[in-house]
Amino acid sequence: MRLFLALLSLVVLGTLHAPAQSREDIVLTGGPALRFMEHGKGDVSHDVYWFNFVDASVIRLKQLKDQAKPDELVTWLIYRPAYASRSQEMGMDLLAQLQDKAKTLGVNLHWFNSKEELVTYLNKGLDRDKTKIADFDYFGHSNKACFLFDYSNTIDTMSIAWLHVKDLRLIDSDIFAHDAICKSWGCHSGEMYSKWWKSRFDVPMIGAIGKTDFAHGGLPQLSNANDKWGQ
Amino acid sequence: MRPILLFAFLAASLVLSTGLLPAQEAVYHAPAGEAPPVAPPLKKGSPLDHLANDPKVAAPTIGYKEGNIKGDATWIAHRLIDDMGGQGWGWVKKSGDGWGSAKWVTLQETPGLAVAPHRKLVKADADLNWEYKLWGKFALYKAYDPRMDEQLPVFVLEGYEVIGPAAPLSIKVGPPDRIQHRPSGASSREGRPILSDPGVD
Repeated sequence: MRLFLALLSLVVLGTLHAPAQSREDIVLTGGPALRFMEHGKGDVSHDVYWFNFVDASVIRLKQLKDQAKPDELVTWLIYRPAYASRSQEMGMDLLAQLQDKAKTLGVNLHWFNSKEELVTYLNKGLDRDKTKIADFDYFGHSNKACFLFDYSNTIDTMSIAWLHVKDLRLIDSDIFAHDAICKSWGCHSGEMYSKWWKSRFDVPMIGAIGKTDFAHGGLPQLSNANDKWGQ
Repeated sequence: MRPILLFAFLAASLVLSTGLLPAQEAVYHAPAGEAPPVAPPLKKGSPLDHLANDPKVAAPTIGYKEGNIKGDATWIAHRLIDDMGGQGWGWVKKSGDGWGSAKWVTLQETPGLAVAPHRKLVKADADLNWEYKLWGKFALYKAYDPRMDEQLPVFVLEGYEVIGPAAPLSIKVGPPDRIQHRPSGASSREGRPILSDPGVD
């Protein structure tokens, strides 16, 4: 009888303390250019190193995992087509490497192939009435008006997958926690994107006023002394 | 003894279920400050190998053909460079139509099949005002030009034939939004070009 009561207690306790998963931390990672597109551009040739955005994302994901509360899910959203085509160009399976990294980190990997798929995940990937986004980081190409998930990968110096400030209206305005921390690590986001972000979601987004530099490993840094982070 | 064991068992269950124990430490160590890994060597015969190592010419060769050029060419193109800094490639119209119906496009190359003719030139603008027969199709999607904050039709190139130099066209360069001064609703369009290069690696 006592054994039965003990087991019953375990079941009850387990139920009471099961994580409700009320918060989600998201790292959004854009893709690299193809070397074919960027060949011969000298100092402005982008993405010589194929995992520049990935390495920075991994650092941030690890930080998030380390500080995550039991009810926090850490999710890694990656724009798949760019890594698939770069894989083909290089003769390496970058997609498998990305899966391994996510598995090692213990984060929820979710590929997306288009802006529409990204928006769908943000709005409906989890029940946003119950699970708000508590932390959001973007690593990838950008200008002040756009996140560019694809850049110079399909078409030279152009993008076929992006999230413009005008597209923010496609994302439900209440997906973020009221105390959410958002940051774009891409170039120029603080010059315009942050303002539109705050206007849409009522949470600030830190962004660079100027360029950011992914070339030296670690989290990106501002490229010039006069650049700064803004929101 | 049994109550003690039972208590220990319950306590351990409580700790585990509330997540008080830290998650297993991730073993991945991101590079910090070191040089990135070396890319694999160029594959012989790959599009990048051809681009890097094939000899370049000063001007296109009239009659030169590349890619899939089966059947009659459906499209005629006039190469032009956008003086405002946009990355459009030129005008494309249906064969037989007037240039008034042409679209200002960006060219989506198909490496390994057909790439932009200027890839073979010493200078990328050496085919300014040259015309081409094109094989391919318009994509269902548009491309975003980050320099100009505008969208362009995409022509997916499958093959081409060099026609030759032609007289300049008297059509305004750019997509319809730019030519017709239609406001986009985003203040990013004020004071084009946007003058914020995409991120750098």
